Amino acid sequence: MKIQPSVLLQATPLGDLLDLRSFSEVCQSFAELYRIGLKVFDGAGNRLVDVKVGNADFCGYLWQTPDGRTQCMATVQRVKTEPLHEEPAPSTVNCFAGCRYAIQPVLYEGDVIGRIVFGPFVPDDLVALPRALAELSPDFDEKVAASYLQKIRRVPQATAEKVLKHFAEILDVLVFTGHKNLLTARLHIEAVQESYREVQEKNRQIEGSYQALKELDRLKSNFLATMSHELRTPLTSVIGYSEMMLEGLGGPLTAEQREYLQIIMDKGESLLGLITSILDISKIEANRVKLVVSEVDVNTVMRDAVATVTPHARKKGLRVTWQPAQLPPVQCDREKIRQSLINLVTNAVKFTPSGGSVTVQARADGTDRVAVLVVDSGIGIAPQNLARVFDVFFQVDGTTTREFGGAGLGLAIVKSYVEAHAGDVKVESVPGQGTTFTLSLPVMASGPAALAVRAHPTAAAG
Amino acid sequence: MAQFNEESRELAVKVVYYGPALSGKTTNLQSLYEKMDPKVRGRLMTLDTKDDRTLFFDMMPVFFRTPGGVKVKIKLYTVPGQVMHESTRRIVLQGSDALVFVADSRKSETASTLAYWKDMLRNLEANGLDPHAIPIVIQKNKMDLEDVRDDEFADLSRGPKVPVVPAKAIQGEGVLETLRVLLALCYRDMDRSLGLSRRFALPENEFLGSVLSRVEAR
Repeated sequence: MKIQPSVLLQATPLGDLLDLRSFSEVCQSFAELYRIGLKVFDGAGNRLVDVKVGNADFCGYLWQTPDGRTQCMATVQRVKTEPLHEEPAPSTVNCFAGCRYAIQPVLYEGDVIGRIVFGPFVPDDLVALPRALAELSPDFDEKVAASYLQKIRRVPQATAEKVLKHFAEILDVLVFTGHKNLLTARLHIEAVQESYREVQEKNRQIEGSYQALKELDRLKSNFLATMSHELRTPLTSVIGYSEMMLEGLGGPLTAEQREYLQIIMDKGESLLGLITSILDISKIEANRVKLVVSEVDVNTVMRDAVATVTPHARKKGLRVTWQPAQLPPVQCDREKIRQSLINLVTNAVKFTPSGGSVTVQARADGTDRVAVLVVDSGIGIAPQNLARVFDVFFQVDGTTTREFGGAGLGLAIVKSYVEAHAGDVKVESVPGQGTTFTLSLPVMASGPAALAVRAHPTAAAG
Repeated sequence: MAQFNEESRELAVKVVYYGPALSGKTTNLQSLYEKMDPKVRGRLMTLDTKDDRTLFFDMMPVFFRTPGGVKVKIKLYTVPGQVMHESTRRIVLQGSDALVFVADSRKSETASTLAYWKDMLRNLEANGLDPHAIPIVIQKNKMDLEDVRDDEFADLSRGPKVPVVPAKAIQGEGVLETLRVLLALCYRDMDRSLGLSRRFALPENEFLGSVLSRVEAR
């Protein structure tokens, strides 16, 4: 593994530690306060700040002559490059024209990372302009030069150094603060990137687990669909041959044989119902169900559903009734809606004790919807379970499974079928008094896109 | 890996103080800051929160020139101790040359100490550093408190070369000794890899003496 360089050890040029715009303003006011020019260079000799005070005329006058220009440039070069010691002491560079610069290194963590140049100023011991100036040009006028020199501040060396030291101390604080902020920012960015990498890694793991679970879920649905199909085939034979024997095709039967065969047939039928439910929900989860839409008379569907459960209800001592209503025909898949209604009525019968009643009624719900209500006087559903009764495999509790049987698929199928029609199913219940399921369907079928049957998200997760 | 710039004859060393929250890492640096000659150290940079807990790290540079003219720059860092700053600890650890593991010696802290030791070894490896090769000193800190361990941290699995130095960092005791032992280990490690004495005429006594002679004796 490659050793990563530390973000904390990266060298930073002086210019990156300062906000140069505001630093220039500070330098400007500082230079104006002391009436002496101020320059700041970084370690590589780049000029960061340059404030000129008072020397423009004098230097400009000397600059007019080629020789003056050359010497002036040499002075500036010395000011920029004069070697500095790694200690906080000033050094001086004398200008050929009698002025002087004081130079202080910018020290940080033992390194020279720049220099502060204070000047030009006129040393207070300068009595007259150097004689050499007169040789710059035949036109050189000493009086003019002297008058320009007046504009440059005359200051004792010690004072200049004191001011310079003061400025260096201010700059030191600025550099330290800048460095601290820079490191904080760098580390902050690194930490965020590091956290991001960690989150990405976790996301990849979660995505992997999710894909694995999805594959398992698909295999489970396939298995259920195949098994249901495979179970149904022999079961149909069991029921069919029982029926043939009951009809006497295999010869006369005793009363006892007839009773036994009837039990085989009844249990076979309920097993077939259960397997069909599993097949239905597998198809829903595999998105393999298509709606076959036609105009359906809801009254007929209600009558059929009630007729289907009546024999069983009667045996249990329940009264199941339905009330015809004035309704428009509904565009829907007749078989799916019939199955949904049978599931609701069967459920109502299952959870209503002997002596109770189940009523199926319908009404127009506004102008464009039809509502079918299945009302029972059964045991009801506790409020905390209402939201989950439509989940696949959900059963209100373990004891109901034993007492009432079932696989917890009926309502999940109802919900999926009804929602595929852009309808909805609601439940209201008072424990001990009864439950009302309301199935609401649009009169006109929606576009084909909405007609694909999908398992309800929570149902699929169940 | 320590950097030696042959052209400028500069040696850069990174030392990290690692350890559980509140074990005294920042206190170590503060104490060294107090004791050292300002000529050889920079400001103590602390990046902390209002409640004085280290947020990112503390850093103090130490720099000097040996009599032989080698410029040595040692940067001392601490990591934030709190558990949630795991990624920051890993980043601060990048490219370190030597480590002080600051441990709270109280018996009640045994489990936490072991957990952070393992955390450190893991983070070293994550940074491509060999936990068995990098110089480490364990500081047995808070010896001034009640109910401290009397063993030498035998539960921290490690090579034979890891010395244990007792300390009361809050009183400034053992802080310099820890640094001295660490720098000695660090020097030998760098001497092996860089050839400090052979190639750069920087013997151990000059390396150690240059920094430790600039420290107030107490």
